[in-house]
Amino acid sequence: MIVLDKVDKIFPGTTVPAVKQVSFQVDEGNICVFVGPSGCGKTTILRIINRLIEPTSGDIYIKGKKVSDKEVNPDHLRREIGYVIQQIGLLPHRTVEQNVALVPRLLKWPEERIKPRVKELLDMVGLDSNEVIHKYPFQLSGGMMQRVGVARALAADPPIMLMDEPFGAVDPIVRGRLQDEFLRLQKEMKKTICFVTHDINEAIKMGDHIVIMNKGELVQHGTPMEILTEPANDFVKDLIGVDREIKLLDLTRSSEIVDRNKEVLGETREKDCFISALDPVQRALETMMKNDSDIVVVRDGEKEIGTICWGDIKKLINKLSGEA
Amino acid sequence: MGFLSSILHWLSNFYDEYLGFINFIIRRWEQVLEYTANHFSLVLTVMFFSLILWISVGLLISRYEKLANTAFGIGNILFVIPSISLFGIFITIPMLGLGRTSAALALILYAMMPMVRNVYRGIKSVEWPIIEAGRGMGMSPRQILFQIQIPMAWPIIFAGIRVTVVMITGIATVATFIGERNLGRFIHHGIARESADMIIAGAVLVSVIAILLDYILGKIEDKITSPGLRKEQEQS
Repeated sequence: MIVLDKVDKIFPGTTVPAVKQVSFQVDEGNICVFVGPSGCGKTTILRIINRLIEPTSGDIYIKGKKVSDKEVNPDHLRREIGYVIQQIGLLPHRTVEQNVALVPRLLKWPEERIKPRVKELLDMVGLDSNEVIHKYPFQLSGGMMQRVGVARALAADPPIMLMDEPFGAVDPIVRGRLQDEFLRLQKEMKKTICFVTHDINEAIKMGDHIVIMNKGELVQHGTPMEILTEPANDFVKDLIGVDREIKLLDLTRSSEIVDRNKEVLGETREKDCFISALDPVQRALETMMKNDSDIVVVRDGEKEIGTICWGDIKKLINKLSGEA
Repeated sequence: MGFLSSILHWLSNFYDEYLGFINFIIRRWEQVLEYTANHFSLVLTVMFFSLILWISVGLLISRYEKLANTAFGIGNILFVIPSISLFGIFITIPMLGLGRTSAALALILYAMMPMVRNVYRGIKSVEWPIIEAGRGMGMSPRQILFQIQIPMAWPIIFAGIRVTVVMITGIATVATFIGERNLGRFIHHGIARESADMIIAGAVLVSVIAILLDYILGKIEDKITSPGLRKEQEQS
């Protein structure tokens, strides 16, 4: 869907390239997360994709079309790509409605199509459209602004979204909620998304694919599981941090380690510890600690399929550490 | 009773001493009307051309940064020329001579500094992330200028326009020396004849015009400026 081929960027007046020979591919419907310390070139990559920055050399293809060609009008290209920026970037002199309708109006949609679309989007991102539609950005909380920013990027239903630390400006609790909601939305939307963050936890949570960058170079890319189990070098290991195993628990579904022996089900049920088979193992651990139990019941929908006990989790951790 | 009459006495003295200009205005109302009308029309003419000219120049130099310092330099030099000599220079130019054209041109040049500077500053005050958001959404440079930069710069541009209008109303009095029959004439003649009433009448009427124009511009500013910006300023 999005292909970068040996992209270089050297900013005028500097000798050290901001981006060095970066090539990768983002598959359709995937979230690809770029992660690394500040100044590693991850935001530059994002801005090269929609040509806010022109690469010094290399090519960019979107859906097989070479968009780095001079003939492609960058303004028109950007209208087809949703963009959520770090500082949110809502226009302060425009209402929420006008902000969200920005791209549809640039694309000259008829007004009767824009109005319902704006309402639909605001409701979709979890805002009360009647309440916020005529407000100005300064009247919103940080979390609400982020939501409007996402709604604006989604307005013209672009197949591709670029998100530059979209949840960076809010506190951790709101951030977690926004992430969850966004993942739920993404399940239905199936957009192809490039997502920039400096937070490895966010990368692991959001990404189908992770690209780790340092000093303008691509250090490692792969699925979160691959990155966690086979870090390419010390830089990646440092980035992941010491709680690698815990993070792995977050990536393993409970269904993978469930003990399907139903004999213990009866007594465990009493304790009121239930998790869904799709929940990560970490959820099982949390539920145990919260209920002061060492066993939880795993459900698939309404059906109870088995249990996970503390020993199962320990076994998993040992196995994962062994792999690394 | 003695107390009351002393107050009345004091009041009538005060009126004779300081508010005699009211009598003057009432006595010479036809002339007052003519001069005021002339004053008004000169200021409005100057503002009309200044808005078109200097807003364009301000936008131009915000786009072509290299021209900015040159433009500010010219504006500053014009601004420090004493008004009476600037009017004087204009009447020596053939085709212009005494009268309205010279007066208007000189005043338009005075307006350059505050207006160009504020337009430039206003456009530049729009923060980078907001411009960047506009670009990222696919707005063309022209759309960014007209839909983001200018609307967001209104408060600063208006500040410039309001300063200019007050300033021009004041300096316009000097144009009386090159044949303008405006309120400056009362001040000029008042000085020549040592008539305080005449001077005060001229000065007060000039102030009233300045305050009135500033008030009207303030109302227009409120209409034009987005509530999203106004509220933001009030909060900070």
